[in-house]
Amino acid sequence: MWKAASLPLAQLRAKTVLAEQAARETFLRTGDGTASIQRRTVEVDALLREIWSTLQPGQEPAIAVFALGGYGRRELFPASDIDVLFLCASEAVERDAHELIRTATQAIWDIGLRASPATRTLKECERLDGETNLEFGISLLDRRLLFGDAGLAARFENELLMTALLREAAGMEAYLAEAARMRHAKFGDTIFHLEPNIKECPGGMRDYQLIRWLQLLRHLAAQRAWPDRPGAEGFTLSLSAAAGNAESSSTGSSASSEPNDLESAFEFLAATRCFLHIRNGRDDNILDWVAQDEAAAGSVGLETLGSADPAYWMRTYYRHARTISRRATLLLDAAPPIARKPLLKVLRRRRSLVGGTNFWVEDNRITLEPGTSTDAESLLRVFAHIAQYGSSFREGTESRISESLSALAVHLPEGPYLWNCLRDVLLGPHAAHALRIMHALGLLELLLPEFHGIDSLVVRDAYHRYTVDEHTFLVIENVHALRTPRHEWEKRFSTLLPEIERRDLLMLALLLHDTGKARRTGDHARESIELAERVFTRLEFDLEERDIVRRLIRNHLEMSHALRRDIFDPESIRAFSEHAPGQQQLKMLTLLTFADIKAVHPDALTPWKAENIWQLYIATANYLDRSVDEIRYHVDADPVVLARILSRVAVHGGFAAQDNIQNEQLRSFLEGMPQRYLQTRLPDQIGEHFKLSLGLASEPIQLAFRLHRQFNEVTLITRDRPMLFADMAGALSAWGMNIVKADAFSNSAGIILDSFQFTDPFRTLELNPGEHERFLKSLRSALRGEIAIEGMLRSRQRPRHGMATAARTRIVPRFHFDNQSSSHSTLLQVVAPDSPGLLRALSAAIAICHCNIEVALIDTEGELAIDVFYLTTAGRKLQVPEEACMTQRIEEALSTIASDQSETASIASPPAPAGTAQA
Amino acid sequence: MYKIEAILQPSRLDAVKDALLEAGIEGMTILEARGHGRQKGHTEFYRGREYTVDLLPKIKLETVVQDELVEKAVSAISNAARTGKIGDGKIFLTKVDEAIRIRNDERGPTAL
Repeated sequence: MWKAASLPLAQLRAKTVLAEQAARETFLRTGDGTASIQRRTVEVDALLREIWSTLQPGQEPAIAVFALGGYGRRELFPASDIDVLFLCASEAVERDAHELIRTATQAIWDIGLRASPATRTLKECERLDGETNLEFGISLLDRRLLFGDAGLAARFENELLMTALLREAAGMEAYLAEAARMRHAKFGDTIFHLEPNIKECPGGMRDYQLIRWLQLLRHLAAQRAWPDRPGAEGFTLSLSAAAGNAESSSTGSSASSEPNDLESAFEFLAATRCFLHIRNGRDDNILDWVAQDEAAAGSVGLETLGSADPAYWMRTYYRHARTISRRATLLLDAAPPIARKPLLKVLRRRRSLVGGTNFWVEDNRITLEPGTSTDAESLLRVFAHIAQYGSSFREGTESRISESLSALAVHLPEGPYLWNCLRDVLLGPHAAHALRIMHALGLLELLLPEFHGIDSLVVRDAYHRYTVDEHTFLVIENVHALRTPRHEWEKRFSTLLPEIERRDLLMLALLLHDTGKARRTGDHARESIELAERVFTRLEFDLEERDIVRRLIRNHLEMSHALRRDIFDPESIRAFSEHAPGQQQLKMLTLLTFADIKAVHPDALTPWKAENIWQLYIATANYLDRSVDEIRYHVDADPVVLARILSRVAVHGGFAAQDNIQNEQLRSFLEGMPQRYLQTRLPDQIGEHFKLSLGLASEPIQLAFRLHRQFNEVTLITRDRPMLFADMAGALSAWGMNIVKADAFSNSAGIILDSFQFTDPFRTLELNPGEHERFLKSLRSALRGEIAIEGMLRSRQRPRHGMATAARTRIVPRFHFDNQSSSHSTLLQVVAPDSPGLLRALSAAIAICHCNIEVALIDTEGELAIDVFYLTTAGRKLQVPEEACMTQRIEEALSTIASDQSETASIASPPAPAGTAQA
Repeated sequence: MYKIEAILQPSRLDAVKDALLEAGIEGMTILEARGHGRQKGHTEFYRGREYTVDLLPKIKLETVVQDELVEKAVSAISNAARTGKIGDGKIFLTKVDEAIRIRNDERGPTAL
């Protein structure tokens, strides 16, 4: 039995106080966190050695005492626990030394140190599997012999531990990776917290240790030996290869005397953690705003003296955290996966080239072909691949890309090519992941220097949790996440996503919406637009594209503001609708607001708030559909609009602004036009329409055709007549065009302006520019009555074998009249399966009942057509007889369309062979 | 002491908070709520379907005040929240026996 001698506790306690003071003073005097934690380690080593030698003078039990964890690494922060392992040669030794170990542990506590002891026999250390043993095994990676039986320690390290680690390395790596992923998820998988926990957050101290552990385990698996001299002083693992200079740096054992980025990051974090422990008097690692101010004032972790700006200091923190986080992420990506479906596993493992580049993908990880360099085009293709599949780079590839960036900067792509590449990145489901890597490597700022201002930018307020750049990526992530909504209330918003025609522009607006925050003028939306203008110029956007992005950025807070009003008050809805002058803008603004609020803070978007956003969206969508054309433009009431359009027409139209005749004609063209026309058309487009209207004297049917990225558009300007809208819809359908949107406007002079947006399923017009003129001529002939439209439609509806397909979903057609929503018209809303000739059939039915289409809002959502017509008869709303007529005619039209469709589908699907069951 | 519970239109919250601060009442709890009184809900049409909004968004404000401040607080809330329309909300008063400050176990009106 070992006998505990009496310890001079008072004396040891005094020594402890002095030791702690010395470590603190080292930090306060030099600001060097690493020196301070090493100093504390040395002091504690001495104290523990004194306790141990005093407790058993002259007796040497078969026990080896190790320091574990941070203490084992010689990283004893001011408020860190003292992790100690008492390793006993056998159970008998453990039994005999029980009192000795208990007294030693008690003494450590009594002298003022927080001990965290563990006792194990040699046999107990043989197995490192199972969750508890795995954790213990990981703590053994940082062991350092303090004192005791050196022979026992050597046997433990070189035989038993090495064998156990080699056997369990893969399991430990998987366990570490899973624990790290869970920890990262707890912190939103981002380093960019406004008040980060510098130990647990991604990019914090824990990740730094993770890097060391993973590298050590891989080294052991590859070399089957300790990376450095094993023995009483433990081992050291150089992290100088951590920047990943070689593709095969997984062993991570190359030596360098120069501190690399990772070591600099550790030194900064070490200084900051020392500062926090001393400041708080406990193991508190949260860097709150007050602590940030104080750390910046003392230039904690910086090489400069004096005081630093808190924003600058925090940017330094994020830069270091990013270094650690990137490295940890690369290693985690290479860690063994938990479970995968066999087929996916095979597909992922297959090695293939990213098209048109010298980058290889294997197991969803990307490597640059050894011995080659990259160019900007290839790099952008690779990031499009990452955005699409969520891939990551292998170790070393990122640093090779970083090194080549300065050369790439000389030959950066510009204009439409650059935009096409960026679109591919922005539209990928993993866009935020790709953008984060581009940002970390500096590529994003190279392509969009406007983003640089918000790099790691802290804007302090009570709500935001993340830096502005991270908030931006989260907004993009939130929109893409709607592809797989998790909550019931998210499902509603997810229905809007596929209906956005220019999702690319929405994503660009999201990327740029907060860039103006860097200027700190108090109106970041205005500043962001100014920065965005430069982007538009470089990407060579057309006026319409600029307008869409500009409006989204300018109005990105308007929906949030509207939520603070009574969202059931029609006047609030009307006021808000001015910021969203069309269904498309409204849908984009709704998704932007949803994603923006959600990215502020994990709890910012409550179901309550989401419901309010949705109700505001519905109310505004209905308002836009039902009441916009109540308000008409009158030149005398608002001459400013006339002047603005006049100036644009003068610039592009080639005539002088002071030309009185033209002024009068423009005035006449605009008089009585719906405000919606002015809100949804750019001044230049209005100018184009006006110029067309000038040709009405010589040609009473004016048509203009434009090829767009998504849709083609035909604009018709002529004098109103019955069946005009129906004839135009029919002629387009007869050409095989699928009408997805239509607008009808008219002015006080009876001139109508109808625009039809349509897709061209066979790409007839896109591939045959020579056909444009024949197309317009055919439309003109149809509108003049020179060609029988019904005949054209019949020949179109005759299907070629196998071409037609039945609708994927069953939609029951329905319609209803609404006499309340408009003061001047009866609304007819028809919801029906989209089919060729539907619009023609509906508008013909309206014309047969002698009703006039004042406004038509035609929309298509997937296979669903949602058409709203504003109807009048003899200048008034519809009465009961007209509604009865319309009901009969619309029912007939819908039934004819339905029977045509079923006939077409049955022709397209050949009968099943005899004896074969049909579903 | 009285506990005041007020059901408000969300759009009136800022005005009510300002009015209470002006009346010398600083502590309050705000809860997001849904409900309806006689206002009931309403029906919207969206994509050809009826969409019934039967529970309307409301804000519930809670505060506990000393007896002498009750009328002042009620009047501040009521004036700031009133639009004159149906759905402006309600105020409920409940007698409170005791208040305890958790930090130092202080009791009574001074703990408010």
